[in-house]
Amino acid sequence: MRHPRRPRSWMQWTRRVSQAVFLLLFIGLAISVRLGDASSPGWGPRFFFDLDPLTALATALASRSMEVIAWPVVVLVVVTVFLGRFFCGWICPLGTVHTLATALRPRKPRAADNRRSPWHRVKYVVLVALLVMALFGVHWTGIFDPIPLMFRSLTTFVLPGAQYGIEDSATAVYQADPHIGPARATWITEPVYRFFRNYVFQVDRQALDGGVFIAFWFMLIVGLNFWKPRFWCRYICPLGGLLGLLARKPLLRLRTKEGTCTGCGLCAMACPAAAQPDQPGQWLPSECYGCWNCVASCSRGGITFSFAKAENGKRPTVGEVDFSRRAALGSAVAGAIAVTGFRQSPQAQEVVYNPWLIRPPGALPEREFLQRCIQCGLCMRVCPTNALHPCALEAGLEGLWTPRLIPKVGYCEYNCTLCGQVCPTGAIQPLTVEAKHQVKLGLAMFNKNRCLPYAYDRNCIICEEHCPVPDKAIYFVEEEITRRDGSKIVLKRPHVDPDKCVGCGICEWSCVFRDEAAVRVTSANESRNNANQPILPGESGDSPY
Amino acid sequence: MFTNRREFLKTTAALGGAAMLPYSLAMGADAPLMAIARWKGDENAPMMEVAEKLTVEAIRAIGGLEPFIKKGGTVWVKPNIGWDRTPEQAANTHPGVVKALVRLCYEAGAGKVKVGDNPCNDIRKSYQNSGIEAAAKEAGAEVVYLDRNRFREMEIGGKRLTSIPIYPDIFESDLVISVPVAKHHSSTRVTLCMKNYMGVVENRKKFHQDLPYCIADLTKFMKPRISVVDATRILMDHGPTGGDLNDVKITRTVAAGTDIVALDAFGAELLGNKPELIGTIRVGAEYGLGVIDYKSLNPKEVTAA
Repeated sequence: MRHPRRPRSWMQWTRRVSQAVFLLLFIGLAISVRLGDASSPGWGPRFFFDLDPLTALATALASRSMEVIAWPVVVLVVVTVFLGRFFCGWICPLGTVHTLATALRPRKPRAADNRRSPWHRVKYVVLVALLVMALFGVHWTGIFDPIPLMFRSLTTFVLPGAQYGIEDSATAVYQADPHIGPARATWITEPVYRFFRNYVFQVDRQALDGGVFIAFWFMLIVGLNFWKPRFWCRYICPLGGLLGLLARKPLLRLRTKEGTCTGCGLCAMACPAAAQPDQPGQWLPSECYGCWNCVASCSRGGITFSFAKAENGKRPTVGEVDFSRRAALGSAVAGAIAVTGFRQSPQAQEVVYNPWLIRPPGALPEREFLQRCIQCGLCMRVCPTNALHPCALEAGLEGLWTPRLIPKVGYCEYNCTLCGQVCPTGAIQPLTVEAKHQVKLGLAMFNKNRCLPYAYDRNCIICEEHCPVPDKAIYFVEEEITRRDGSKIVLKRPHVDPDKCVGCGICEWSCVFRDEAAVRVTSANESRNNANQPILPGESGDSPY
Repeated sequence: MFTNRREFLKTTAALGGAAMLPYSLAMGADAPLMAIARWKGDENAPMMEVAEKLTVEAIRAIGGLEPFIKKGGTVWVKPNIGWDRTPEQAANTHPGVVKALVRLCYEAGAGKVKVGDNPCNDIRKSYQNSGIEAAAKEAGAEVVYLDRNRFREMEIGGKRLTSIPIYPDIFESDLVISVPVAKHHSSTRVTLCMKNYMGVVENRKKFHQDLPYCIADLTKFMKPRISVVDATRILMDHGPTGGDLNDVKITRTVAAGTDIVALDAFGAELLGNKPELIGTIRVGAEYGLGVIDYKSLNPKEVTAA
């Protein structure tokens, strides 16, 4: 069957432009975080986090503080109540990715793909369960919330992947240097490489530990568009659910002109939300993204969005949200069970601490940190040394994709406070450089069975060289030792001063061993945890007696 | 172009023309050049101004950069930008020295001057907080953020180092000028012009098991022709990172010359060391890269104000 030509709708095109602008803005802001002034991240993508009501609500519940609620959230909530879920159709960068993926479907959606389904209520179930979890301090909305989800995906694999693709292709050409006579391929590739190097990426790309699982999650939810259009937005997205609950009775409503509808179903085929535009009086405002596809699709021009009331003084009737009190109660119970389950580990109950869970400088105590962190990955993106990585299970299931420092990959730069400056929820507190110098992330320890001057009788001391503490937390003692052949040499053997060590990890990073460093930093002595302070400050007493 | 230093110096002396003639006559045509510029002006003058003027005087005293620079060629000015530290902390080359040097290179006919290092700390923070990025750009240099994936493994055929990844853009430049700050170093006691070449390579961590030979091998491979020592302020202790202004000594001196070992010896002495006790300097002399007794070169003493 041939698709009839769609009438034009300038609103539909305005919406597409809006989607493109916000998506590009989101990506551009993510790129800009690593450019320019090394002491300030600039504006960053903060705007999007400040606009996100789910992040604001869940963080407020989890941290029991209102400071995370910024004015753009208030504006968005008010606008949604009056105009509907237009955020999903016009602004949400992840929504735009889904729109693009839906457009790439090999098969155009049929009316049957876009019928109302009981699955619509899953997003409300997810929403309520997540909010109940947040109330008990398990802040898991970031795993599902499109803004953190999208940013985390950009950070962990989209942007590093783009940089890898461009730079390494150019470098491969540069190194092979193919040419025909005087003409060289590098004449084209090198200017491209330089443009990206100087204006887009500037510094070396990041590689994030475990980013592949975040990529998998992202690919999965994008791939689901091939099953049902905007599957994620329709059925799963808890932010969509929250906005949907706010938009149950908007002032702006879909209106079908009397006597125009032939029941052809074109509008239903065009509706990515399955919001029933084809059933006058039963249109679902809590599902509708306000995308204007239905208006554009109606060959008789019978559908409009309008604030106007009908002759009887009433607005058109709308369909109800399909989420019963019983379902809500069930979701809440499920959330409570999840919290209980997540907490059944020695670490969650603070019996032990994970030695390799080193949090960024300025991170709140673990419990409070988890009540605020939305796993967005902004700290990882801004980190100049590629030190911060998403946790797998190092912080428990509760701490999935929260940031941890892996010193062997990147250390915490002594004068850098960027992660605290960008954190949208205050899980990492902003610090002045002076305050940051006092913060201990952990404590270095030497593995004397590996460290060259101890284990292999060779001089080395790179760790001492790199130690950024002005009077050196790593110091060395010169010792004369006897070699295999009986000759004597002097070795500089390193030690750690636990009072001075800030746990930045540059010793581990700089260690000549690239598999497992001979000096490692564990979370012991971290400033944020009084219970994890094994070392009594000051020198030890002179005598054990 | 030149097969050895002697031939090079003969040619440059010949090309140097009238400006260099009196000096060449006094020293003999193949004598290494060296000059030390000390500040005799206002003690309160801003260090930026001091550094720039001293550099100009030191370079002028060795006869300018013209003999070293190919017209329209590329010069890589290689400061020490190893650390995320400020200029007054003396962990990196002073931006004023770099700025003056970049200008002098252009004045001497360079087509392109690039500035870059492979820092130990984050490259962006080191470039910016050292003040070198801004100063070099002001003088018209291209500031290069090294791309870790571009280093190319090269056979260098040294005693201790046989091959090492070197940054191709640096190696392919027509001239590389090593311009370190003079500072204390916990492993090698001092770090100066020779050790500064560690910023053109990757995989340098294992150097520490025999720094003198590794550094000398690398220096020999890089064939230094001219180097400049920034001793406007020097780091006396807790190097190479420093961070405490109590470890910094204000010396307001810049030295330039063609003998890298002599320059390092001068710098070591300034830092309170006996040059012959410094491994890198000793091995450098052993390799024939220069002489330890820098005074035997009759370095030209000049002043700036």
